[in-house]
Amino acid sequence: MEPSAKEDKQPKPRLIVRLGIFLASHHILFSALCCSAGIMALLFLPSLAKNTYLSENALIPGSANPLFSSEDVTEANKFIKGIEAAAGESRGGMEMSKFIVQQMKDLGAEVCYHEFLPHSKHFHPLKFFTSMTNDLAVRPNGTYSNSGTNTIGIIRAPRGDGKEAIVLVTPYNPQKVQANEVLSLALGFSVFSLLSRAAWLSKDIVWLSADSQFGEYTAVSAWLNQYHNPMFVGGVKHEPDGIAEKAEFTDFKRAGTMAAALIFKVGETRNYGDRDSVTMYAEASNGQMPNLDLLNVVHYLAVHRQGFRVNIETISSLLSSAWLRAIAEVIHTLGSILRKINPDWKLDITASDYVEGTANLASSIYNQALGVPTGSHGAFRDYQVDAVSLEFSPTFYIRNENAKSSFLVRGGRLLEGVVRSVNNLLEKFHQSFFLYFLTAPSKFISVGVYMIPFALLVAPLPIVAAALADGSRKKGESIDASKTKGSADNLPTEVGSWKWLQAARVLLVIQLWAVIVSLLPYYISQIPDGTPIQSSVIWVVLAILTLIVLYAMFGSPYSAGVEWKLLKATMITSISIGLGLMSIINFATAQLGALIVIPMCLFSRPLKAQLGMSFLPRTVLCASNILLAIFGFPPAALLIMKGLSKGSWTVDLGDFWASMEFLWEWSSATYLYLFLVHLPCWLLCIHVLLHPCRQVGSKVKRE
Amino acid sequence: MAIRHYWSMAVAAVGFRLVLVLFGGDLHLASRPEVSTPLTSLRRLAEGYWLKQASMSPYSGSMYHGSPLLLSVLGPLTSKRSGGHHSHIYCSLVFVAVDFIAAMLIRSTGRTLQMARNRSLKSLDLRKSVNNSVNVSAGDTASLIYLWNPWTIITCVGSCTSPIENLMVVIMLHGACSRLAPLAAFGYVMATHLSLYPAILILPVALLLGYGPDTPPTKVFLQKGLSANKIDMSDNGKGTSQKGFGQFSWKPILHFILWVFIWSCYVLLLNSIILNKVGGLQEMFEKTYGFILTVKDLSPNIGVLWYFFAEVFDFFRSFFLIVFNMNIIFMVLPLAIRLKHRPCFLAFVYTAIVAMLKSYPSAGDSALYLGLLGLFANELAEMQFTFFLFFGYIGVSLLSPVMHNLWIWRGTGNANFYFATGLAYTCLQTVLVVETVSSMIKHDRKLRLLTKA
Repeated sequence: MEPSAKEDKQPKPRLIVRLGIFLASHHILFSALCCSAGIMALLFLPSLAKNTYLSENALIPGSANPLFSSEDVTEANKFIKGIEAAAGESRGGMEMSKFIVQQMKDLGAEVCYHEFLPHSKHFHPLKFFTSMTNDLAVRPNGTYSNSGTNTIGIIRAPRGDGKEAIVLVTPYNPQKVQANEVLSLALGFSVFSLLSRAAWLSKDIVWLSADSQFGEYTAVSAWLNQYHNPMFVGGVKHEPDGIAEKAEFTDFKRAGTMAAALIFKVGETRNYGDRDSVTMYAEASNGQMPNLDLLNVVHYLAVHRQGFRVNIETISSLLSSAWLRAIAEVIHTLGSILRKINPDWKLDITASDYVEGTANLASSIYNQALGVPTGSHGAFRDYQVDAVSLEFSPTFYIRNENAKSSFLVRGGRLLEGVVRSVNNLLEKFHQSFFLYFLTAPSKFISVGVYMIPFALLVAPLPIVAAALADGSRKKGESIDASKTKGSADNLPTEVGSWKWLQAARVLLVIQLWAVIVSLLPYYISQIPDGTPIQSSVIWVVLAILTLIVLYAMFGSPYSAGVEWKLLKATMITSISIGLGLMSIINFATAQLGALIVIPMCLFSRPLKAQLGMSFLPRTVLCASNILLAIFGFPPAALLIMKGLSKGSWTVDLGDFWASMEFLWEWSSATYLYLFLVHLPCWLLCIHVLLHPCRQVGSKVKRE
Repeated sequence: MAIRHYWSMAVAAVGFRLVLVLFGGDLHLASRPEVSTPLTSLRRLAEGYWLKQASMSPYSGSMYHGSPLLLSVLGPLTSKRSGGHHSHIYCSLVFVAVDFIAAMLIRSTGRTLQMARNRSLKSLDLRKSVNNSVNVSAGDTASLIYLWNPWTIITCVGSCTSPIENLMVVIMLHGACSRLAPLAAFGYVMATHLSLYPAILILPVALLLGYGPDTPPTKVFLQKGLSANKIDMSDNGKGTSQKGFGQFSWKPILHFILWVFIWSCYVLLLNSIILNKVGGLQEMFEKTYGFILTVKDLSPNIGVLWYFFAEVFDFFRSFFLIVFNMNIIFMVLPLAIRLKHRPCFLAFVYTAIVAMLKSYPSAGDSALYLGLLGLFANELAEMQFTFFLFFGYIGVSLLSPVMHNLWIWRGTGNANFYFATGLAYTCLQTVLVVETVSSMIKHDRKLRLLTKA
């Protein structure tokens, strides 16, 4: 009996356990290494970008000669004249859509109108978990004067079975007709007329001229909603007042499942560069992107066939920043050294490339992190349709006929080519990436690469949590051991294993508070005539009151005598769960959040506990704690961001309300992240900082 | 040490459920794969009821796979509609009551266990040294865990019949702990009838009826008896009282078997009456037990079998069906031998294993074993990795809907994403089972060492 008991007392732990213990005992070094490596990897991202390539073989872009010719340009010019005449006699924009319908009917297309109401502002951040398709479409009845009207034309494919469709969208504002919008309508029409004659079509073509008087997105999403959610309104026929011939087109018409959608518009004339340029917008809600193959097709055809310059969004202030250039130089030197070590590492991109790549990447990350779509293509992504917005920026003046017709030819050919490629598809887009950042129109960073910095940043969290939880348990055990020295076996007691329950309770109370705070705007936004400042003041006051009430109900975090180490361990575990979840929902948000939250968590240490340290580390720790705690508070972070980007440092509470309103209206998961992950973490951090650090001796007495 | 504010917390839990039932219609919990399975979904039950009302077999059309008894109890409630609330509100109210009853039964089971524990510790003269460290009221803890466990709550609110299945298991354990053979037999027959897997709980129930509730191993008593005899040979009274432990009595077991027989005949009779003219008992067995054992429905759930059987080649299917079904059976006997002195704990381990390996697991199964876990709060005070397990469960239960959303609604993920969550969940459960069993064994060993000292 005796030897076996001894063996049981000190069993040799398994290798993986020993490894864990080793890491936990060196957690400070480990986390410092991991975090700095993560930030380094983040800086190296632009040089890790790869060139895009087409992975779906069926697309074969540019393999057929384009059929779009000068005849179609004549067609477009005729259309421009007609629609300008119609716009001249327009009453409320109805004439324009009537003209478009007439033209489409002449081509033999099926035509219908779609009326919709402007999208009212609602609080729906939680919509992320349900799907957009659960909405019921609201059909305006005749009493609404301010409804919009989309015009839809459908070409049935001669070789198709009507099960699939490609969507072309041209937004225009019938209330205020502009030359470039007319041009984009003409471009759409000429492509549509070409496709109505094409014998090779195997997918139906839907041309949606979206009424953008309430914004493009509203029009497109209203149409998509009705397209996917059939309404059964038995027998209630409504006649729009005064327009008799319109009634025959009010039956909603559908084509098949959408394979892809192209939104195109002609923007303002820009005079940079010698070539007409196309800007691609791809970010949909919550950082979702269309399949990379769609962007590849557009880019390939635009650059290599039609001679456009392709741009993506960029943060132009970064292009001229001096410190970025300095970093670029350093990265370039580092890259060339690495290249000398191993010629296969092609990390040495030139400094200017690096700067440009970083500016594009920053914009890509920012747009994805915000979780708000950059255009009406976002509405398509909610229905799992790959869509991209193209904004043509011509270098000529709209009245220049020659330049215009050459532009029309090239734009038309580009659109025709893209449609033709998508038409070849046998399956949904699935070959290429869905999760990527763009650093240039033809360069991307795939999920496998951009995960690395994030993974490195998150890696220390579980280790530190384990080290803290373990350290606090060890202490408990030693106390108990001294207490029960008399007995034969050293009894680790409840204190050892379940002590974290108190800390978990604090965490749960704070999470409950966070949930309440994140739901408050739903009620506050229903107060009539509230200015943003009033609303945000009410919000803040209610949040503080709720916190006080919750503490009164469940006891304040310090009253239960939670050790700060356990509190910190709980906080770190909760933040790693939160960041992990967010990285799946919207990676960019998690990445940006990790940069703020992780140092804040790792540095946090009670101010009282720091008293015992020597001067230099104490000041450094204290300063970084306070700085990070300030920067981690969402309104403060917003203010600093605004200050850095715009240079205006005015404190305006209303701004905070406005930006949060912006997030929840677009049902952005970033809002949920801010209030369910970031804010509770910040509050816990503050709790850790202000922890009274009573001696453990008092606890022993209590127990 | 009773828990303060027990009743207010219990009432608050019931109130919270009622609030969710009355106002939580927008949560759409009933359509979540984590909550309702093909076996327990109330929507399917409503369909079955409708078919039966139309004089068709409720099992036609492969929609319903539950018991005919549920059909006649809950069926009429599903057809009633009330405006403004979600469709199955009356059933949900029934489930709230069912949950409350289950919690109360867990509480009284916990009391019985606690009494048995105190008795055996007293006879070992260990009360002071053990109770110094931990002494929480196991019954109160367990019933509060059951009432406030988020998974129990979503199961209760989420329109599925799992609360009733859980209640039957709890009734069985309660009956067996208080040695009420008829009640235990009723619970056993009903639980087996409703979801088949509780059939393996016959071993713990028999041990409970035979030996009585959980005690430290017999060896400890023998040792104690030995040392006591050494110290005081003349103390005969103590020796006889120790003999009371560890004696197996056959009488309650025979009683139990008799009652099982009676109840099964009764249940079968009721079923055949209900299914009269709309299909027979054979169809019922095929469509319920057959459906469970052959894993016909491969729609995703939090288990691992759907993915496996979606991938496996057809000609291997029967082989793997046998393997997976035997997997549960394999573990029954070794665990029973090792833990025979703690039958209630054995029942907990069995339910955890079943929840892990059954063909259509749901959050409700986990709710049951997590509730039972609270019964052993004193014994498991030294369990390792509790922090990890707690946050692991939280993480998995948040991850699962996100992955499902990514796969089904957004299309950027695929089935592997969701399956990965299922794998992680199974791993967590494995860790839980391993840790609980090993810390229980450690606890027994500690008692042995303490008696020796």
